[in-house]
Amino acid sequence: MFWFRRWRVDRSRLQVLRGLSRIFSSENSREARGLRLLRSWLTPEQCAQFDAKRYFEVIGCDSGRRYRIRYGTMSNVLEIDDAGCPKVGWCFVPVGSLVAGDIMLAQKIALETNESGALAVANAFLPKNSPSNTCVPY
Amino acid sequence: MATQIVMDHTGDTRHYFDAKDSQALAKAEERFKKLTGRGFTAAVRTAPGEVSQIRSFDPTAEETLFFPQLVGG
Repeated sequence: MFWFRRWRVDRSRLQVLRGLSRIFSSENSREARGLRLLRSWLTPEQCAQFDAKRYFEVIGCDSGRRYRIRYGTMSNVLEIDDAGCPKVGWCFVPVGSLVAGDIMLAQKIALETNESGALAVANAFLPKNSPSNTCVPY
Repeated sequence: MATQIVMDHTGDTRHYFDAKDSQALAKAEERFKKLTGRGFTAAVRTAPGEVSQIRSFDPTAEETLFFPQLVGG
């Protein structure tokens, strides 16, 4: 009886340790670190928008145009028209094997501080129909 | 403690230094020049979520973020 009880306690401790280890490794994955870094550089409004919709919007520093940066690593920047609809997609990324959070942060900084430079290297594409490409009127 | 954050394949690498230590500051400036020379963009936060690019080392910056050169995807 004593051994059985002890075995149950040890087993539950082991489960707790395994759970903590899983949480620790998932929170310290490169993806999680990239998202933490991104969140820490977003405005409170952008952060709330990202948490709710998996995208956030930025204003281009040169043209004043609005861009939607969706969670992703490529073809994830959409220029938004006055009605809140995606007009054109822009594909530009930092070189190297970076995680989504890092790429999105680089795109935000580029559009907010050097929009014309970012668009000069970007490739344009026509946005496809998808839930995150829908019109969101202001 | 000031920080230089460099985006890389691990997510990011952070270099902490004491801005009051002249040796550490010189090392940070050297790192800044090396990274920007390799095409990295350096940015600092001016307010929560507000950023600006810097082209020369700012010894007063609490946090400087570096990301690699942008290319068309």
